[in-house]
Amino acid sequence: MKYLSEYRDGTIGRALADRINHTATRRWTLMELCGGQTHTIVRQGIDALLEGAVEMIHGPGCPVCVTPLEQIDRAVHLASRPDVIFASFGDMLRVPGSDCDLLRVKARGGNIRIVYSPLDAVTLATRNPDKQVVFFAVGFETTAPANAMAVWRAAQLGVSNFSMLVSHVTVPPAMLAILDAPDNRVQGFLAAGHVCTVMGWDEYEPIAAKYKVPIVVTGFEPLDLLEGIWLAVRQLESGQAFVENQYVRSVRREGNVAAQALVSKIFRLSDRKWRGIGEIPASGLALREEYADFDAERRFALDDITTNEPVECRSGDVLRGRIKPYECPMFGTACTPERPMGAPMVSSEGACAAYFNYGRARPAAAGASTPRGEAQ
Amino acid sequence: MCLGIPGKIIDIRADRGLPMGTIDFGGVRREACLAYVADEVTMGDYVIVHVGFAISKVDEAEAKRTFEVLRDMSQLEELEWVAEAIPPASPVPGGAP
Amino acid sequence: MSATISGNISCAVPIATHDRVVLGHGSGGKLSAALLKEHFLPHLHSHALRMLGDGAIVSAGRTQVVLSTDTFVVNPLEFPGGDIGVLAINGTVNDIAMMGATPAYLTAGFIIEEGLPMEVLDRIVASMARAATVAGVQVVAGDTKVVEHGKGDGLFINTTGLGLANSEFRPLPTSARAGDAVLVSGSIGVHGITILSAREGLDFQVDLASDTACLYPLVEVLRRATDDHVATLRDPTRGGVASTLNEIASASNVGIEIDEASLPVPTGVAGACEMLGLDPLYVANEGIFVAFVPEHLADKAVEAMRGHPLGREARRIGKVIDDHRGLVVMRTGLGGTRVVDMLPGDQLPRIC
Repeated sequence: MKYLSEYRDGTIGRALADRINHTATRRWTLMELCGGQTHTIVRQGIDALLEGAVEMIHGPGCPVCVTPLEQIDRAVHLASRPDVIFASFGDMLRVPGSDCDLLRVKARGGNIRIVYSPLDAVTLATRNPDKQVVFFAVGFETTAPANAMAVWRAAQLGVSNFSMLVSHVTVPPAMLAILDAPDNRVQGFLAAGHVCTVMGWDEYEPIAAKYKVPIVVTGFEPLDLLEGIWLAVRQLESGQAFVENQYVRSVRREGNVAAQALVSKIFRLSDRKWRGIGEIPASGLALREEYADFDAERRFALDDITTNEPVECRSGDVLRGRIKPYECPMFGTACTPERPMGAPMVSSEGACAAYFNYGRARPAAAGASTPRGEAQ
Repeated sequence: MCLGIPGKIIDIRADRGLPMGTIDFGGVRREACLAYVADEVTMGDYVIVHVGFAISKVDEAEAKRTFEVLRDMSQLEELEWVAEAIPPASPVPGGAP
Repeated sequence: MSATISGNISCAVPIATHDRVVLGHGSGGKLSAALLKEHFLPHLHSHALRMLGDGAIVSAGRTQVVLSTDTFVVNPLEFPGGDIGVLAINGTVNDIAMMGATPAYLTAGFIIEEGLPMEVLDRIVASMARAATVAGVQVVAGDTKVVEHGKGDGLFINTTGLGLANSEFRPLPTSARAGDAVLVSGSIGVHGITILSAREGLDFQVDLASDTACLYPLVEVLRRATDDHVATLRDPTRGGVASTLNEIASASNVGIEIDEASLPVPTGVAGACEMLGLDPLYVANEGIFVAFVPEHLADKAVEAMRGHPLGREARRIGKVIDDHRGLVVMRTGLGGTRVVDMLPGDQLPRIC
């Protein structure tokens, strides 16, 4: 596939990895803030290739993983209503709520449909006028323009039986929360290439300057990640800290202005809870008052849902990069993809699932456990 | 976040005011909304598509350059790496040198 | 079988057991295996069943026969390249062929949803008749039931097959050995992507047609080329090549290593998988098999298969090793390795 396959070239990748290993004079700690990047890194074994030069900490970059428990519980409640068709991206279906997940609701007869695009949910609403269609609008800034357009379109076409359960999060506050933590070890970031395609990178410049951390806007294919890591290491080796763009084929400094404009029109900044981490102020998006009609939380009575909030959850430590998935005592034993305890084990982008599925058949790092052969 | 893949625009039309296109992803065709790239794309252009929306036009010149830089880098001798490892005097906005 | 969870772990409440069957139990992955192990085998425990092969080898008097059964559920009922009827014939014929037997007779049971148009039924049954002729089998017994509207997804078909066992040629899931070559007979992921594209909801078009086919003639080609020395044969249907290789690794207690660059993934499958975030290794197939043969016969086997229309894309994809028994690992483009595990349930399209 053009503009995709060439960035998977193994020979170039191995040469890049060699270069990084030779350039680093010490082991640097970097964080990638995107589930898609985590997926590629673990699947391709990029972290293992760079073991001596770089420690990759996997950040909370999976919107599926950080969707707060309350929103999952609300989704489950809505999907269970006989008058509702609940539309969602596929990877949300297995995320555990307080006592149920959407797949189980489907088993009990809930009308749940997987959609690829939010516009498909609007179409579902026009085709099913006697039902309420609720769309589970999750994602980072990359998905916000699509979700915004769904609302705009529904308003334009007068589709009154459509609403969204919103659970949007934004990256920079999460980055700041990580940098402000007293035990922070992250020395540089790979910023998410598609988030920046929409938002540009100017939000990251003050962060790089204040905390003196290189931030490299990076793509998703193996060569993109290797080049991004190389650029970050190069900055660190020379004591520099600025924002650099590796993903030049898609990202411009100003981002996608039209997309930003519609997102601002439909959504406003709001405080948001991140599952496993807690509330981060101004880290989310909510529908503006003018579009409150399309807010499922306004349209339906969702207040008396009790959420079993965990007191302390290791998911948060994994999401913040404090521990590696295999350092969690539940990893591979009580917590596996088929019996997940927390969200990072469910989503295919989640660090725990990535580690489990792509596993450690290579020589185990200290403390690593093998995914097979555990108590079943 | 964010499964976005490059595809080629093979058809453009308007659906009740919304610019839509048919995108070819290496043999698979699907509709995508072009509203966010409408001013800059035309038939045959490549776009990055995420959940049925084109979020950027692929800068083909930059794409080619990235690949060639990487490929050339991979062919350099070790001494040349050392020279390359010294970064430029001031940050170059927008890209790797 | 649930692990003990100590009281002071208070992560999201673990959902350790299923009190109802979920769709994932039918996906061919870990949940399917668990369903079998926890809810069926404890009650139905014949020796033949416990082998968990594609079919059972049993004796009827002095003749050894292979029996196999499969039930077909597909939405939509008709799709490019075939329909549920063709799948029902080929699927069971193939299961018998995978045991090294010669398919001979089938039975067919139909559960029809009230309201199914007669012309759809006619097309499907005619299609089954053609497939049976091509496969050289006769449908000798059948049954039909009609269920109320809303209870049946249009049509479900069960076929049970009987084949004549071959005492000289008996590939088994337990027979793979270190040193064997792992071969695949054709391109992967075609059927599953065809079905996804034909289904409402994801709305994409791809120039693919289901690869459903009767594999018996190709198995014969392989058998002759290797002089009956095929350790294991299996057709990777639901759950894909990954699930099948895991089942064999487990059954034979060996490790399997495959090479990513060698996998034959056609363009349309690759594009659809990229778009939806799916891995072709887990996508269903209906017209290919994986074969484990001794290393010194591998090249000859591949060449022989390529001479047959169904085997044009046959190739080596890996080998059986002594290491990490029960695990399947893949060598990636970058030279690293990663585990190819079984999925818990169905692959879900992702946005991340």
